[in-house]
Amino acid sequence: MSLLSTTRRRLGACLLGLVMAAAVHAQGNLEIDTPAIAALKQSMQKRHAQLAPLYAAGAVGLAADGTVALRDAGSVPLAQRTQANAAIAAENADRAALYREIARANDHPEWEADVRRTFAQRWIDRAQPGWWVQQGGKWVQK
Amino acid sequence: MRARLSACCVLALLVGGVSPAQAVDRLSVAVADVVSAGLVLRDIRAEFDAARGTAAISVARARFGERVERDLRLRCGRAALDFQGFTCHRAAAQVGGKRIPAVFDLELDRRHGHVRMAAVLDGGGRLELDAGEGGRVRARLAELKAEGLQALLAAWSPSLVRRVQDLQPAGRVSGELDWQPGAGASPRLEVQLRLSEAGFGTADGLRAAEKLAVDLSLDARRSGAAWHWQLALDWQAGAAYLHPLFLEAGPRLSAHGRLDDRQLHIERAELELEGVRRVSASASADLDALDQGRLALEVQGADLAVVGPRWIAPLVAPASAERWAFAGHASGALQLAQGRLQAAEVAFDAAGFSLAAAADGTALALGPIGGALSWRAGQRSGARLQVAGGHWGKLALGGFEVDAELMGEGVTVARTRVPVLDGALVLDDLSLWRGAAGWAGRGSVVIEPVSMPALTAALELPQMSGVLSASLPGLRVSPGEIALDGALVISVFDGYLHATGLRLREPFGVAAHLNADVEARHIDLAQLTETFSFGSMSGFVDADVRGLELARWRPVAFAARIASSPGEYRRRISQRAVENIGALGGAGAIAAIQRSLLRLFDTFGYSELGLQCRLARGVCLMDGIEGATRADGGFVIVRGGGVPALDVIGYNRRVDWDELVDRLQRVIAGNVSPELR
Repeated sequence: MSLLSTTRRRLGACLLGLVMAAAVHAQGNLEIDTPAIAALKQSMQKRHAQLAPLYAAGAVGLAADGTVALRDAGSVPLAQRTQANAAIAAENADRAALYREIARANDHPEWEADVRRTFAQRWIDRAQPGWWVQQGGKWVQK
Repeated sequence: MRARLSACCVLALLVGGVSPAQAVDRLSVAVADVVSAGLVLRDIRAEFDAARGTAAISVARARFGERVERDLRLRCGRAALDFQGFTCHRAAAQVGGKRIPAVFDLELDRRHGHVRMAAVLDGGGRLELDAGEGGRVRARLAELKAEGLQALLAAWSPSLVRRVQDLQPAGRVSGELDWQPGAGASPRLEVQLRLSEAGFGTADGLRAAEKLAVDLSLDARRSGAAWHWQLALDWQAGAAYLHPLFLEAGPRLSAHGRLDDRQLHIERAELELEGVRRVSASASADLDALDQGRLALEVQGADLAVVGPRWIAPLVAPASAERWAFAGHASGALQLAQGRLQAAEVAFDAAGFSLAAAADGTALALGPIGGALSWRAGQRSGARLQVAGGHWGKLALGGFEVDAELMGEGVTVARTRVPVLDGALVLDDLSLWRGAAGWAGRGSVVIEPVSMPALTAALELPQMSGVLSASLPGLRVSPGEIALDGALVISVFDGYLHATGLRLREPFGVAAHLNADVEARHIDLAQLTETFSFGSMSGFVDADVRGLELARWRPVAFAARIASSPGEYRRRISQRAVENIGALGGAGAIAAIQRSLLRLFDTFGYSELGLQCRLARGVCLMDGIEGATRADGGFVIVRGGGVPALDVIGYNRRVDWDELVDRLQRVIAGNVSPELR
């Protein structure tokens, strides 16, 4: 269990790192290594162990606006749907903060929307096979 | 020829000419019309084949109330027609060419005027109907499965079944229905049902229930054009998820109202709910557009410790739901129309709210809170709350009042004075409104002087003298940021700290951090070093800290410059202070000290001191007195002056910040011996 959890966390860390790197590249010389961003990355990586099974089950998908969304709660046991929803809300709060922080770190807070768009596409591009992503307003399984 | 007969006359026609002694081989009957209360049958044909023991009945067109069905057929696998009446067993029924998925047994009891029907549904369960004189119909349902019931209903109302199918119903239903046409136009329907192992779920899983056991009791009577009804529901087992709420068995509902021309009126509903003294509601809606109706809900005596985690946190703050705690009681009322909130009233009685710290952030608690708030869509309304106190981290907050005006999704708070220790935090003209991206607002903040001895004691810091105050007239709130234009001033150590450009970013998340520029002037080193047990230094320093960033109250970035204040004053540094400065650098890090002098004297004169640190990514890039870089790469931190005098020179320009802080704390604690060379 702990091995699985650790593996998921590492996978999450790798994924987050890849997405961050890709986003930086796409945005040019973005400096994203601030303490606030590090704290957000750590928080998101920790939560990834909780979200990964939800992505795999199709309960949660990667939305086109850079958030994660509850798309099919039916695969989550009834008593755990509130926790799943809480994890999604917390993840989205972290993601919103991450996009703002990256824009701030570049001294361009007005870039937030661009950062969000770039990240949204990278999250989707790098989603694992079987995960659900939002494309053209529809959910599709990778 | 057109016949107009009552229902029981059909039976008479079928069997009337048959005596017990007579045998009928084959009988065919054709009837043009049968008209009874609420029932019209047209073009009825019945055939009875005594030799085979079968019968077939067809009705070309049937009208039940306002409902019309065509081509009704009943084919009996075994039938008997005699003086007692007509029996039909193992019958198959069709409506409009579609088989009704059940096997029927039918009995027409001529003597007692009863029609009995039993149906074993293909999907499981049994349904019995008993129609007596006067049109009374009683039905008994035994373990009818949802699948079988749907299939049965599909013949009656495909559109209803399609809608129900979206909910994927499951489970069994048992119970009784009693339809009493009554005298005149006052029929009555009584229903007692029990759902067991029941559930449903929408395709997206946002509304679902499992293992439900619910008792339902309905008593409806028609008076004039309206039905007056009473309903009771007792939810005994199972659980449901109605996004984002998870609900468990226990609630009981009783309600009464009327149904008038497809307008459903709930005149009063009472809900027994754990943690609430009373929940009542009234509502009205068109049956074809239930979500567009009107609802008034009243809640009295809600125990917030119970209802807060279940009902409030998942709705209001799902991301931090587990960090919220509630206490006290609240009562309130809500009005909704067309699916939108129209008005809300809430009164608090000794209510308490607390938000536990995220990671190692700062916790917030407020309460007990009394008072009330009122909100009306499109109108100005108000809130007046009395907060008896609270805590923000280690700081205790005194009692204060909040007087707010509410308008739409905005709130304006009049002057609010929150006592903090012996001072106060004063919010003036604070306006907040919710936009598409989140909350925004503006206002001003004043911190009335808080004494530093009280503040440092509360924060469990070494005691300092002086006061802290602030005038921040430019408070601006935007999603993820609170900007405070103005200055926060701390008079301390005979000088002052002046912080400007205060920005609190991501204040409610794990990445909460504070940015500011700080200017310190004329800080008395004697008081400073005494306070932090750093040895003894006399003199004064000025400091400028640009781009200070605090995360969880710890510095993570800044560019700091400390230098002796201008002016004439005594400048001495103790042996212990010199040793401690050396200790901060670690092995081979900082000190080049005339060791022999250090052993001979307790204090030394100096002419100037200076230290610079640019902190980024956990590393402090250090420098000393400006322009005092030595040829050997060292930098002068303390330049000697007077007699005896010594220089303190640093050589390590890159210092790990965490290590530096750790060593500083150990130096203050007196656990580090100096490392000199």
